[in-house]
Parts: sequence; C-alpha cells; structure tokens
Amino acid sequence: MSSSTAAERGTGPDPAAMAALDSHWAAAPTLRNWFATVDHKRIGRRYLVTAALFFGFAGASALAMRTQLAGPEAGVLSAREYNQLFTMHGTAMIFLFSTPMLFGFGNFLVPLMIGTRDMAFPRLNAFGYWVFLFAGLFMWASVPAGAAPNGGWFAYVPLTDERHTPGLHLDVYTLGLLFLGISTTAGAINFIVTALKLRAPGMSLNRVPIFVWAIVATAFMVLFALPVLNLDNALLFLDRRFDTRFFEPERGGNVLLWQHLFWIFGHPDVYIIVMPALGIVSAVLPVFCRRGIVGYPLVVFSIVAIAIISFGVWVHHMFATGLPQLSYGFFSAASTVITIPSGLQIFAWLATMLFGRIVLSVPFLFVVGFLVTFVIGGFTGVMFALTAFDQQTTDTYFVVAHFHYVLFGGAVFPILAGIYYWLPKITGRMFDARLGRWAFWLVFLGMNLTFFPMHVSGLLGMPRRVYTYSGGLGWDALNVLATVGAYVLAVGLLLVAIGVVHALRRGDPAPDDPWGGDSLEWATSSPPKPYNFAVIPRVRSLHPVWDPATAESTGPGADEDRILAEGRRTLFTSEFDGRPERAVEMPEETLKPLVAAVGLLVLFLGLLFAWYWIAAGSGALVAGTLATWLWPPHRAPEEAGMTT
Amino acid sequence: MSGRPDRLGTTAGDLRTATGPVGLVTEEPVGRSTAWWGMTLFITTEGTLFAALFGSYFYLRFQHGAPWPPDGIAEPELLLPLIMTAVLVPSSLPVLWAEAGIRRGRRWQLRAGLLGTLVMGGTFLGLQGIEYSEILREYTFTTNVYGSLFYAITTFHGAHVTVGLLMVCWLLAASLHGSFGTRRHERVRVVGYYWHFVDAVWVAILFTVYLSPRL
Amino acid sequence: MSERLSPRAALVGGLLLWFAVLGGVSAWAVHALAAWSIDELACEAGHDNLAGFPLTGAIALAVLLPAAGAAAALAASVLAWRRVRPNHGDGDERSTGRAHLLAFVGLWLNTLALAMIALGGVAALVLPPCQR
Ligand code: HEM
Repeated sequence: MSSSTAAERGTGPDPAAMAALDSHWAAAPTLRNWFATVDHKRIGRRYLVTAALFFGFAGASALAMRTQLAGPEAGVLSAREYNQLFTMHGTAMIFLFSTPMLFGFGNFLVPLMIGTRDMAFPRLNAFGYWVFLFAGLFMWASVPAGAAPNGGWFAYVPLTDERHTPGLHLDVYTLGLLFLGISTTAGAINFIVTALKLRAPGMSLNRVPIFVWAIVATAFMVLFALPVLNLDNALLFLDRRFDTRFFEPERGGNVLLWQHLFWIFGHPDVYIIVMPALGIVSAVLPVFCRRGIVGYPLVVFSIVAIAIISFGVWVHHMFATGLPQLSYGFFSAASTVITIPSGLQIFAWLATMLFGRIVLSVPFLFVVGFLVTFVIGGFTGVMFALTAFDQQTTDTYFVVAHFHYVLFGGAVFPILAGIYYWLPKITGRMFDARLGRWAFWLVFLGMNLTFFPMHVSGLLGMPRRVYTYSGGLGWDALNVLATVGAYVLAVGLLLVAIGVVHALRRGDPAPDDPWGGDSLEWATSSPPKPYNFAVIPRVRSLHPVWDPATAESTGPGADEDRILAEGRRTLFTSEFDGRPERAVEMPEETLKPLVAAVGLLVLFLGLLFAWYWIAAGSGALVAGTLATWLWPPHRAPEEAGMTT
Repeated sequence: MSGRPDRLGTTAGDLRTATGPVGLVTEEPVGRSTAWWGMTLFITTEGTLFAALFGSYFYLRFQHGAPWPPDGIAEPELLLPLIMTAVLVPSSLPVLWAEAGIRRGRRWQLRAGLLGTLVMGGTFLGLQGIEYSEILREYTFTTNVYGSLFYAITTFHGAHVTVGLLMVCWLLAASLHGSFGTRRHERVRVVGYYWHFVDAVWVAILFTVYLSPRL
Repeated sequence: MSERLSPRAALVGGLLLWFAVLGGVSAWAVHALAAWSIDELACEAGHDNLAGFPLTGAIALAVLLPAAGAAAALAASVLAWRRVRPNHGDGDERSTGRAHLLAFVGLWLNTLALAMIALGGVAALVLPPCQR
C-alpha cells in the first residue's frame, strides 16, 4: 500500500521499445500541434482551465451582485444589469462550469484509471473541447455587449418570448446552449465508448473504479436528458425568430410545455452535476482513510439507481400547475425512493472513515467540507417536502441558500478536493500544503458566511432576483454578512489559484504516487508520458496499485501485445469482462476538429445575427470537414479483404 | 442424450444451460467496434429527441382540446404520405443488400445498393416538397400551433433524411475509391443503422402527424 | 466448465442477466408513463372512461402488469445472484465476479422499482382519479 516507485514496479519494456513509443506518441512542440493535439491529457487540462475561467467570470458576476446588495437602495448596478448578471451567473455555473469541469477531470482521468492510452475517439474529444470553448465565449461575449440572457437560468416563457423580452438576450441563451449541447453530447458518447472498449485487460466491470462508474452513469443521463433541453431551446428560438406558436396561448400553444421540457432535463441535470463530483469523493476519501471504499457493490448500485430514477422526479417542480393529484402520485414515489441510494453513498463514506485510519491532508479537508455543506443542503431540501413550507419560501432567498449549499457543497468542494488530489499527477509538481489549508478554511468559512444568512433573510421574506430592496425590513445586517462572506470566499478561491500557480512555478517534483492511491493513474509517471503506460497493465483486482500481481504485470517479461510499440496503438478489450480483443491504431494530431468547431461557431453567429446565408455556408464547411475527417484510409485491396 | 437430439430436447437443454451459471455469465453484447457503439449511442440520443418532440405534439394537442386540427384546417391528406412511406421504408432494403454484398467482397453490389437508396431517399424529399407546396397554400408554420408542429416535425425529419443521404453519398464516393472490402466495411454498417433509424422515425411520424388526428 | 454452451443458450443467458438488471426499472418507466398519461388524458377529456373501458380498470392494468414484470425481473436477479458466485471452482473468475455484481445491482434496482410501482398503486387506491 505504500507509495511504490518505478524501480519497485520493474522497469518496463526495453529502451528500444520505449524510444519507439515516444516517437509514435509524442508530438513535436510546434504551434500547429498545440492546436492539433488529440492527447486526452492536454484536452482534459484545457477543459479544467477553461471551466475555471468561466467560473471566475461567473464568480465575478456574483461579487458584483453581492456588492450591489450589501446595502439597501445601492446604485452599483442597474436593474437591467442585475438581471443579466444573475442569469449569466446561474447559467454559466450550471452549464459552463460544473459539467465541463467534471468532464475535464473525466477526460484526464478516465483513460488513466482504466489503463489505456487515449479516449476512444480522440479527435471527437478535441472537437468537443473547442466547441465548449467557443460556446462559452459566445455566451460570455454578450455581457460586455449588453445583450446577455436576462430571463433567469431557467428562462420561463412567457417572460422570455419575443413580446416580453425583445432583443438578442434570449437568442444568445437558446443558441448558446444548443451550441454547447453538441460538445456535451460528444463528450458523453466518448466517455461511454471509452469505458466499454478500452479498459485494460482483466478490468471486468466489478473492478472499475467508482469515479469511472460515476462518469459513465452521468454520460448516460446526458444522452437522455440533454436532447429534451435542446428541443426546448430550439422551439423557443423558432417562436422568437420565426413566429411559430409553440408557447403562444392565443394560437393554441402552451407555456407550460417549456416548464415540463425544462425540468425533464433539469432534475436529472442536478444529478449530472453532482454525480461525477460524488465520484471524486469516492476516489479521494478512501485513499486518505487508507483502505478501499466500504460497500463497493452498494455504491455502484446507488449510482445506477440515481441515474435512472432521477428521470421520474421532474413533476416535483410543477406542484403549482393544477394537474390531477393522482398523476403526481405516480411520480412522487420516485422523489421519495431516490433518497435511499443517495443516503447509501453518505453511509458508505462514513463507514469508510470509521473503519479506516484518517490522514488529514488538504484534499481530505475539502472532502469534509463537502460532507458538511452537502448534508446541510440535503436537510433544507427535506424541509421543502412540507408543502406549506414550500409555498412560504418559494422564490425567496431561502431557496438561493438551499441550492448553493447543494451545488457549492456538492460540486465545488469535491472539485477543489480533486484539484489538490490530482494536481501532482496533472502537473508533476507538489503544492504547498500550508497555503492549501489556508485556502480551505477561507473557502469553508466564506461559503457558510455567504449563504447561511440567506436562509434567515429568506425566512424573513426577502425575495430572490431583486436588484435592490428598501432598508428597515430586517434584512440589512444579514445582507452585509452575506457580502462580507462573498469577499472572504473570493480570497479563499484566489488562494487556490495562487496555490496552483505556485506549484507549477516553485513546487517540488511530485513522486508517481504521493498519496498511496489505489487506481491505475498512480501506476504511471507524474505527469504521465504521452502514451500513459509503457506497458498496459493486466488488472487483477479492484485496487490494482495495491495489488502486487497487477503491479508485476507491468514489470519485465510483459507480453508484447501489451506494449504495442510499433505504431500509435492501444488495446481493445471486451465490453464487460475486459478480455483482450485486438490492437488498434489511434489517430494522430489533426486540425480538422478545430476547423469544424470554428465552422459551427460561424454557423451559430449567423443564426444569432440572422445572416442565414453565412450560416448555411458554414454548415456546408462543417459537413465537408467531417467528410474528410471520417474518410476511410486508403487500403490496399488485400488489406481491405479483396483478393482479386 | 442418445442418438439424434430432437428439436424440443435441445431447446429445453439450451434453456437449462442458459439459466445456469455458465449461461448467465455470457457477455452480451460483446466484440462490437467503437464505431458501432458510437453510432448506437448517437441514435439513442437522437431517438430521445424525437420522442420528446412527439411527446410535445401530444401534450399540445391534448391541452388544446378538440377540434384538432384547429381553426378549420382539414385533416391531413393521406395519399401522398402513404406514397412517401412506400418510397422511404423499403429504401432500407438496398442498404442491407449493399452491406451483405461487401461482406462477400462484391463491390458492385455495394455501389448499386447505395445508389438505390440514394434514388429512393431523393424521391422522398421531392415528394415532401410537393406536399409542402400544396399545404402551404392552406396554412403555414405561423398560422397556429398545429401548423408549427406539422412543419417543425416534418422539416426536422426531412433534415435527418438529408443528412442520411449525404452520408450515403459519402459512402458511395468512398466505395468508388475502393476503400471497402470483406474485412473493412464498418462505415457501411454504421451508416446503414442511421438510415434505418431515419426510416423508423418516419413511420412514427406517419402515425403521429398523419393518422392520429383521424382517431 | 463442464457444460458446453450452444450459441443460442449463450445469447439467452446473457440477455436474461440484463433482464435481471434492468427489467424492473424498465417496468417502472412503463408504469409511470402509462398510468400518468391515461389519467391525464381521460381527466382532461372530462370523462372517466377510455373508449368505453373504465378508467380505474385501465389504471389498475397500468399498475399490475408492470408490477408483474418487475417481480419477474426480481426473481431473475435473485436466481442469477445465487447461481453466479465468484471463486466457484473452475469457472472464469472475472466473468462470474462481474455477473455477480450486476445481479446484485439488479436485485436492489428491482426492489426499488417494485416499491415505486406499489406506491403508485396505493396512490391510485386512495386518490379519486380526477381530483385536482
Ligand atoms: C462563488 C460563489 C458564489 C456566490 C457568491 C454566489 C452568489 C449568488 C447570488 C448573489 C445569486 C443571485 C440571487 C438572486 O438575486 O436571486 C446567485 C444565484 C445563482 N447561483 Fe450562485 N453564487 C456562487 C456560486 C455558485 C455556484 C458554484 C453555483 C452552481 C454550481 C451557483 C448557481 C447559482 C444559480 C443557479 C443561481 C440562480 C440564478 C437565477 O436566479 O436564475 N452559484 N448566486
């Protein structure tokens, strides 16, 4: 269990094979290759950095809002600006930060954890990143232009139809989310196929790390939930731009359709955000308890159950809309039952801590921060189940407090834990632990100071989404507290960023396995080589790095078919049991994903500004790029299986 | 079992082994390519999109109440859609035939099959154009929610047919180039799946948009 | 592996395991969608029958048939869970471990699904179909 070094694990293949691997996988550090890379580790890093940037924008918007709300009748922001800022804050935190950040972790880690050399579709992966970047910029660029979405993050019609909100605001919202959806869908498909086909030999489903289970379950949820949001946004765009009548009651449309479709997506989306974050917790927590997670099969069950049952919970959001009570009855069972698998995970972690020897390192601190805030958020969530309470607090700051405890607790703390935990692997450098502890305490205190008072101001009746309020209603002191908290929180988050930069500049070189982790990413160098593993390991247990038999499999005497040094190759294995199937050639660096993504950007700009010919032209460009991208390689007749 | 096992005997035996430990641990599905999985998942998510679209159709229709179609719009004409069905649904056969051909190394069969699909799919789109030109005189997508639904659903499907046809053209070009053979034809198979999906969606549209208002 | 496996038996066995894993939740999905849309549509149209078929009967069917499906899946998962045990002699340890895990996951999924369908049935018993 102790952190092993490369020497203990054996030296791997002979130098000639290493040199061959290097020549096939390492890209020359040219400008072209910077744009053309398909390496999942570089793409994963970019996802992380870009999502962090969007988090910074959304956080700055929140600071501006808190500054405005510090005192009654302040004049920092106008009502118009405030509307755009809270909408962009919410939209960006949900769509441009949480999911892409967690997809970034997935991108970097999934191939390493399952012991392979890249994602199943490396070029699609690059394409997904570029689309995410452009979609994020597309949406954020609307803020300085004064045309940012302003209908709240769930954009209810009729407020958001053409009559009530003219201008580009909501077109940026619908088109931006449609654009982004392409990236998320591509990423989801890629994760599933990677996890099914590229696991190291011997990694049957019962040996797959929890984090990978969580990412795959999330990906499945994306495939079933996201199309519904896409449809919703497409219909709203058509209504606004081309005068269709889907949401227009005077012509037979129905505004409730928007809400139904939005929450069919929205409820699973809460779990889409939180599930991979819980996967991070399940990866980090056991390592600092010095034992495997308690109840692995139960945790797997809980992940699968949540992924499925969360689709039955959407009617919950519609208690005020006057459907027959019985039709709620069929769904309210889901809302009750889904608490069982969620609770199971918490108990699995508590049991792991109970039966383990806890090491209070920085990543573990953030895990504890997660547990505390998430449980508080869950508690206030249960309070909403009392209908009378729900109706009293709807649209007050109590709701804002509740979902920040859930989302900040359920996503940001695990993400921060993950950053500290994998930073040595990603950068090859250790961070300064003292700085990390300071950051933790500032974030933890700041977070509670910001959001706890909001429970109270909400109970005292302060409505959400107001740009100002009059003094003397008993809210003043609470708002000052919340604003001070927001600044403390900002300093804490800044310390995290400083810690990362400091590690990159000054940090000590990281050992391969600084924490004594159990999953395969710790079995390779820090940072990993472009080909990840010189020898693809043969997995023999759920904790391959703690298991001498697996470690031996990468040592001397490894069979040739797990080295695969002639060409840029990796191994396909069978879907569920991980039996070796065949070696496959992986694609090289290419600019086509970038070209296709630029084409899509122009297409969406064309739609936004009603330059339809330009949109059509760039659509053709995208199609052409895809056609050459997927063009079958030329094959000699014998190779294709033609003998004549 | 002695002698020639009779049919019933093997079935019962199969069932016993299937439910035994050895049968239950069988990996299924297994040995598929990444392309196969990628296309399957893509079709899944697209299928969900169409399901949500049909769900919205029925939701709007039942929230609207009778009469449906509203505002004196006539019930949809059936002759042309049925002809379109008769053109589109069988167009899956040439793809299947083409794939069967390349499996045996018959490139001419691949090319001929793809060409057949191309012609049938193109005819379908042409017929859809004729249908639009007639219906547009009666109502458009701005007339009311019924018009919006009709045009949105059929145009969206038409766009999928177009994409499918582009894929078939692309395959045809690649096959003229000689890239496929008995061993290398995963692209043919996968595009075939997409085409069958587009066909299946049309059948659902026939029932939703054209037949259900007559109920 | 003393028993020889015909391809057909292998296919049936593999699919049976998936039924044991996902059968219950599929039944629940069918139940929720069917019962909900039957109720909603009939009440929206303002009568308590569906083309002559009494509404309560239709809802009962939408509860009982899926419940039977979920129960069958539950039985299959119990069977699979008990028959497939890892480290059971000469079998392939990897596949049995995987199948055992899947059967275990299925066991609990089916239990939850059955519970949800039953709760839906209880709701149908206590609530009049069209009360708002
Ligand atoms: C970084 C610290 C954060 C601060 C200081 C903060 C602060 C705020 C404030 C002041 C509001 C507006 C309340 C209103 O006027 O109704 C808000 C709304 C919101 N926040 Fe945050 N927030 C933070 C982090 C997050 C995170 C991490 C998420 C999600 C992952 C998030 C999601 C949202 C959402 C969805 C809304 C609702 C927007 C809407 O009403 O449409 N926030 N936040």
